[in-house]
Amino acid sequence: MSQMGFYFDQTRCTGCFACAVACKDWHDIPAGPINWLRIKEIEKGKYPKLFLTYLVQACNHCTDPPCIKACPVNAIIKRESDGVVIVNQEECIGKNECGFKCLKVCPWDAPQFGLEENAKMQKCDLCLERLEQGQQTICVEACPMYALDVGPINELREKYGNNIYAEGFNYSEKYKPSIVFKPRFYDKK
Amino acid sequence: MSRDNSNLSVNEVKIIKTGCCHDCGGRCVLRTHVKNGKIIRIETDNGDEPQLRACARGRAYRQRIYSPERLKYPLRRVGERGEGKFERISWDEALEIVSSKLIEIKEKYGNSAILLVPGGGNQGMIHGIVPIVLMLHQIGGYTRMWGAPSYEGVIFASMATYGTMMTGNAREDLLNSKLIIMWGWNPANTIWDPETNLILAKAREKGIKIYAIDPIFTDSAAILADEWIPIRPGTDTALLIAISYEIITQNLQDQSFIETYTVGFEKYKDYVLGIEDNQPKTPEWAEEITSVPANMIRKLAQEYATSKPAALIAGWGPARTAFGEQYSRAANVLCAITGNIGINGGYASGFMRAYYSRERIVPGEKKKTDTSNKEQKPKKPRLKDNPIDFGAPPREDALYKLSGGTNPANTRIHYNDYYEAILQGKKGGYPADIKMAYIAGTNRLNQFSNVNKGVKAFKSLDFIIIHEQFMTPTAKFADVILPVNTFMERNDVAVPWLGSPYYIYLNKAIDSLYESKSDLEICRELLKRMGINSSLLDLPEDQILRLFIAPRKDIKSYNKMKRDGYYKIKVEEPFVAFKDQIADLENNPFPTLSGKIEIYCEHIAEKNNPLMPSFPQYFSHDEHYDSPKAKKYPLQLITPHNKRRTHSTLNMIPWLEEIEPHAVWINPVDAEPRKIKEEDLVDVYNDRGRIRIPAKVTGRVMPGVVVVYQGSWYNPNKEGVDLGGCANVLTNDVHSPGGAFPMNSNLVQVELYVKKQAEGF
Repeated sequence: MSQMGFYFDQTRCTGCFACAVACKDWHDIPAGPINWLRIKEIEKGKYPKLFLTYLVQACNHCTDPPCIKACPVNAIIKRESDGVVIVNQEECIGKNECGFKCLKVCPWDAPQFGLEENAKMQKCDLCLERLEQGQQTICVEACPMYALDVGPINELREKYGNNIYAEGFNYSEKYKPSIVFKPRFYDKK
Repeated sequence: MSRDNSNLSVNEVKIIKTGCCHDCGGRCVLRTHVKNGKIIRIETDNGDEPQLRACARGRAYRQRIYSPERLKYPLRRVGERGEGKFERISWDEALEIVSSKLIEIKEKYGNSAILLVPGGGNQGMIHGIVPIVLMLHQIGGYTRMWGAPSYEGVIFASMATYGTMMTGNAREDLLNSKLIIMWGWNPANTIWDPETNLILAKAREKGIKIYAIDPIFTDSAAILADEWIPIRPGTDTALLIAISYEIITQNLQDQSFIETYTVGFEKYKDYVLGIEDNQPKTPEWAEEITSVPANMIRKLAQEYATSKPAALIAGWGPARTAFGEQYSRAANVLCAITGNIGINGGYASGFMRAYYSRERIVPGEKKKTDTSNKEQKPKKPRLKDNPIDFGAPPREDALYKLSGGTNPANTRIHYNDYYEAILQGKKGGYPADIKMAYIAGTNRLNQFSNVNKGVKAFKSLDFIIIHEQFMTPTAKFADVILPVNTFMERNDVAVPWLGSPYYIYLNKAIDSLYESKSDLEICRELLKRMGINSSLLDLPEDQILRLFIAPRKDIKSYNKMKRDGYYKIKVEEPFVAFKDQIADLENNPFPTLSGKIEIYCEHIAEKNNPLMPSFPQYFSHDEHYDSPKAKKYPLQLITPHNKRRTHSTLNMIPWLEEIEPHAVWINPVDAEPRKIKEEDLVDVYNDRGRIRIPAKVTGRVMPGVVVVYQGSWYNPNKEGVDLGGCANVLTNDVHSPGGAFPMNSNLVQVELYVKKQAEGF
């Protein structure tokens, strides 16, 4: 298996939201609470010594995903071939009946739910439809800053290094999220 | 996943290559996925480098095309102006009303009673205002206005200093700089050509130091720059002059460049040193005004003057102020005295156009190169000339001896004066009694200063016609609304915004929705109804486009452009403005009257206006931080562009709305004494009006300054309080001597909105 993952260059992200909107357009998700791809705005410091950075987060397609264990009906699976974590909506019993078990265990809020009664979980599927046609994910192709990349995580590490930390991101040794960063950290000085 | 895509094979989906063409700082590629006549998805450029990748605005376009708010049919007003009550009418009826009104007004009052109110909101080479202008020329013309709110001060300064708008270097040339100063420039949000932000990031990665000077800690300042220098709005000129002072007193200027390529340095130097007014423009003098510490000013001066080549990029925002042209001229002069002009890695500031594709070329017209043969003008207006002001003497305050600016010198009414022009007419000294407004491509009421005065002016007109896609605050004042299609429903060509070497072919992706028509179709039909049976507009769309493209010799193949959806021109080396002038001034003089860079401009000196000085100077004014008015209204309001709208276009698109909710940005230092907390509803007001929106309490704006991003739609309640948060309710409808719009020179007060008990019942 060749685990797929993300690369995010935090030094380049200007928070333009092109990736987030492209994601919603491609996957036909209305404005509102469902965000397969989320952009966190991190503001620190005090005028005039300010720090502002963005963190783009989709699903980290963990090596050992807690959501899979948390799901009471085994609706979440990790694909053998590429390690992409996907949800089978037919199996998912819905947020009210289940009580957001997958969301509660995910440190990065990847599982997403609509506002409707007993909405079923949905999340980033790494644009499998596109990957299978030999294309990049829609977010990677959207980024005007070339700050995103998706590929086998080993290759990403070779290309971009092993950094697993970024401002606003808490790495989990336990779940091993499939992501590497070029980070930008707040320096109190 | 909620939608099953498994049955979606490539065969069923056709990819049609088009682009995004509103009035933003980009022009980007969009590849629409069309299935059964409907756009179901949008991708951006994935072709040849450099890719013209769209921002969030373009990516969200599907929600604009299919918005339930799209205007579907021609409408006739049945309520009061501004009330928004309309009834559906047929195209036949709508066109009959409009054509007969045009004829009626023309015959009764003359063509000057027709005011064209144009904008860039719905663009293309042959759509938007283009066919309307040609149509109105054919029926005898219209009253035209001058002034561009985005950059009028910048154009004035660019023309005065360099005699041209072509003052920019190609963006990739920034990689040759040793220092970059982003002055009042926020390309992370305003794009400034699609490749700009990536190149800035690469420059920083290369170790090139980048400063950002701005009252706001913008995304550009935060992410692209190494250091942010906050500055009090409207005081940029003082900082630029103090940097000049430091450079001159430290003898860091490029004396040989100054002597060879410029005129008037000594006069400017005397002003800077305070020889005449006994006020040396020291860093301490500027600290008091700008709030930038004197030691920082010294450091900036030192670094800029000694890091050659250095690029000072003077953005347009600080020139959208009460004396905007002075800022822009002072920046140009600083580039000149350090000799950073005409060299790789340097930058001349000015208007900053770097490639000529944006220049408007009308078929059959030769590019003007000689300014001396004014007499040779044809006596009769051509199709491109407006008969109303054709041949009129130039405005006294215009730089009419220079050619190449977009500013029509024979036009009398400044855009920020047109409400007064409507209200006062000839009695008030304006050149026409305006009876009718023909509005297209613009939400004009919303986007120009002093909305409440605009309401009065619009209510006083006999007739208003508008081409629109949405029920904008301006459309609510129209008598007839003609629904126009979008650029995805017709063929056209987009020229880049500022000027990178490419074109985008906007292939028609879908048929016009509902009953909407293109501007071209509308004008064709109106002309026929007005008895004009022969017009350029009658030609098929494709033929007109080919005619318009023909003079653009850089497009070698129209068909390839149409097929690929873009035409990227390979340039041998990155464009550097004034390289030829610097290499051989004798044979390549600057297109100014002296043939050199004009630190001192004789053409301006002739005007003998102390507020339009012959070399750049700093002025205060009656809506400045230090004016008496600041006692009543102690906060400076600035109204920049944000990342989720293009002016007022795309205001109501849900995917964009959620990116950044509309709010007034206020520093905690100003919020706390007013008991304002994050998301509290607050009133921002002055004598011109009052808006009511939530507060965003943030250190990202400097103390004493509040920010209302322009473009949110005016939505007054019964008391006249704008709940839409339109910034121009608060801005002043005046202009600087050079024509700059003071959108960033406004004083306001902010208070917590306390809901009165009575309102609850």
